[in-house]
Amino acid sequence: MLEVKNLTKIYEDGTVALRDVSFQVEDGEFLVIIGLSGSGKSTLLRCINRLVEPTEGEILWDGEDITSADPAQLRKIRRQIGMIFQHFNLVKRLSVTSNVLSGRLGYVNPWSSIIHRFPQRDRETAGKALEKVGIADQAHKRADELSGGQQQRVGIARALMQEPRMILADEPVASLDPVLAHTILGYIERMNQESKIMVLCSLHYLDLVQRYATRVIGLREGRIVYRGTREEIRKMTDEEFKEIYGEEAERISAGRREE
Amino acid sequence: MEPIPEIKIKKKKKRRARPKQGSTPKSIVSAPVAAFLSAIIPGLGQVLATQFSRGLLLMAAFFSSSGLLAWRVYLLAHREPTAMAMFSKALGRRPFFVGLVMGSIFLIWLWNIRDAARQTRPERRGGVGIFVLVVFVFFSLGWQISEINPYKAITDLPQALPPLSRVLWPWKAAFTYRTETVKAHANILIGCEDPLPQQPERGPGEPYLKSDPTCGELSRFDENNNVIKGTVLTIEGGNFEPNSEAQIWWVDSLGNEFRPRQEGQYVSVTTDSEGSFKLELVMPYRLTPPSARGRQIHKVEARQVERVGGPIPAEPLRLTISRMIETIFMGMMATIFGIVLAIPISFLAARNLMSGSFITMGIYYITRTILNIVRSIEPLIWALVAVVWVGLGPFAGIIALTIHSVAALGKLYSEAIENIDRGPIEAIQATGANRIQTIMFAVVPQMISPFVSFSIYRWDINVRMSTVIGLVGGGGIGFILVQYIRLLDYRAAGIAVWFIALTVAILDYVSSEIRSRFV
Ligand SMILES: Nc1ncnc2c1ncn2[C@@H]1O[C@H](COP(=O)(O)OP(=O)(O)OP(=O)(O)O)[C@@H](O)[C@H]1O
Ligand SMILES: [Mg+2]
Repeated sequence: MLEVKNLTKIYEDGTVALRDVSFQVEDGEFLVIIGLSGSGKSTLLRCINRLVEPTEGEILWDGEDITSADPAQLRKIRRQIGMIFQHFNLVKRLSVTSNVLSGRLGYVNPWSSIIHRFPQRDRETAGKALEKVGIADQAHKRADELSGGQQQRVGIARALMQEPRMILADEPVASLDPVLAHTILGYIERMNQESKIMVLCSLHYLDLVQRYATRVIGLREGRIVYRGTREEIRKMTDEEFKEIYGEEAERISAGRREE
Repeated sequence: MEPIPEIKIKKKKKRRARPKQGSTPKSIVSAPVAAFLSAIIPGLGQVLATQFSRGLLLMAAFFSSSGLLAWRVYLLAHREPTAMAMFSKALGRRPFFVGLVMGSIFLIWLWNIRDAARQTRPERRGGVGIFVLVVFVFFSLGWQISEINPYKAITDLPQALPPLSRVLWPWKAAFTYRTETVKAHANILIGCEDPLPQQPERGPGEPYLKSDPTCGELSRFDENNNVIKGTVLTIEGGNFEPNSEAQIWWVDSLGNEFRPRQEGQYVSVTTDSEGSFKLELVMPYRLTPPSARGRQIHKVEARQVERVGGPIPAEPLRLTISRMIETIFMGMMATIFGIVLAIPISFLAARNLMSGSFITMGIYYITRTILNIVRSIEPLIWALVAVVWVGLGPFAGIIALTIHSVAALGKLYSEAIENIDRGPIEAIQATGANRIQTIMFAVVPQMISPFVSFSIYRWDINVRMSTVIGLVGGGGIGFILVQYIRLLDYRAAGIAVWFIALTVAILDYVSSEIRSRFV
């Protein structure tokens, strides 16, 4: 179980990105975070694995306080949290296999890993992970030779390699076309359902939210302004969805985001 | 919802309506006034018609071109007492140049007056055609100032062709042959007192020389400095190299050798197909010192210089190759030193790494400025400095190239660091990787290709530069190239030029090949 208590993030330039955010996520839940651009979704997700240092508040995961973990503990926590990014964040010049294997970095011997040596067992798992996301034939290509959808699959395979207990997905399909969105979210959902992995995912399109979320929180200007269960979100109309997004909602009405 | 004033909300930039075209402020003078002012100071009318850049440009063009013309006129006729006299003298000496430029400036002046009047009207029409004339004026001035002379280039070409052809095809000087001298002699007694001199022994097949007679008198001068010819010797030789030249030498009783002349020419013969020859030789003039009194035996000798073995590289070729190697290594060493020094410096010059505090930002700006200054000074200038510092030779060249490389690479590397993508770094950190793993997985792969490609590129430049850095004493092949040119040894210079061209071409290919593999 993940408990976020009174989380506040103020960036160095004074921007308040999160204001006193509190919520809980049970194991096996698929929590979707919605909110306007700049409402603090990324900041929230990044605070959980401390890519961003929270200013105030606590994040407890099965009772362990992530916010006060020392660097060694933090690495142990991070290796159990897979992260999927909007822009995939693969190491472009490395091969697909190396990118997938990098998911094991928190587990393997650091010295042999820096010369890209991984245990045979990990190499086999990497192959299987790529098979699972359907791009085993691309294993030897360089990451930047793949299409966007393929790159995101590599991102998912990398997260799979971590044998994660939690997935943080920051707009995982925002830079992919709608058809691919379901494929990618399908993989994440499978991980969520088969292995009871907790998923925290930010999304923009109502239909996707309705299809995948088991619970939803809405952010606006760094505050939680909406909490909804699976049933509530299913019943939600476009108009209500827009309400969460506030006055500027018209721009998102077609289910398309304006950047 | 209650307002939360402290929270910054990113607002979309609203597009502000652009000011409409043509709403420049109105002219502050009337058309005639503008024309009048522009007649006195070209461009002034336009400026007062609020067409500032147009007016200032015209002003600058008019005054600088007239100033330059005045300077050239002065140089052409500075002895004349008055300006008018100078001008007419200069016009006489260079009618085409002075007339053309003068006329064009006058046209510009006229046009400018009309333009000033037109610019006061609200529609502000007026072409930019006149600036073609301005460019033409500067072109004519430039032609004269930089002493361009195509006529000379053509008429002097025939003179330049022989040395040029030697530079273009220098290989005659590239190889020599080891030689061996084949010789045979006959002994000649001065004054025919018995007994006649013994002749050297010879084995079968060895070259020989026979003289008839084997004694006689040397040529002498009488009291009136008239030549009294000596005895004529009939000389016969055999077993020499067939069909080649043999030189005739004379060796006096003291062992001094010289080549006798007949009718002003050194005596030499060409052997027949059997290697034999026959010629007549007047015994030469030789002043024998008093100490050599008594029986004197001189020698007449035939010598042939013969090639042995295949061609061997001649001095210029050997020197060129060794200097070329030196050059390539100079470039390589400078590149290595440059890379090693540039890496730490590039961290200081990378904005994203140094944006932490005011102090680090200060260091960033200082480093950037120094790099820019150092880089803008050519390696040749650095070589002059380095020669003063460590003396002539390749080390000075290496110092010069290193200094320049550090600055150039420091800038390129720091830009590569600035362009690094944070995304993969975060992704790797998020897997629980430690610092070293993050660097090896996310940073190094991003850096390696720009580092390699910049370094190879720099090596390429450094080798090119090291071929010319010798011109100012910085060692390498340029050093011998200038020497050869000063000694007018165009073939040797040609060899050096060929090697430079060859090396640069190979290097070009190799470096682009390596870079394309890495990028
Ligand atoms: N590194 C940073 N430094 C300063 N301010 C930041 C930083 N990162 C984000 N912010 C600010 O924090 C606020 C929340 O940003 P965040 O990226 O979390 O929004 P988001 O909901 O993920 O938006 P989007 O949908 O556009 O990704 C924004 O106002 C943003 O400008
Ligand atoms: Mg975001």
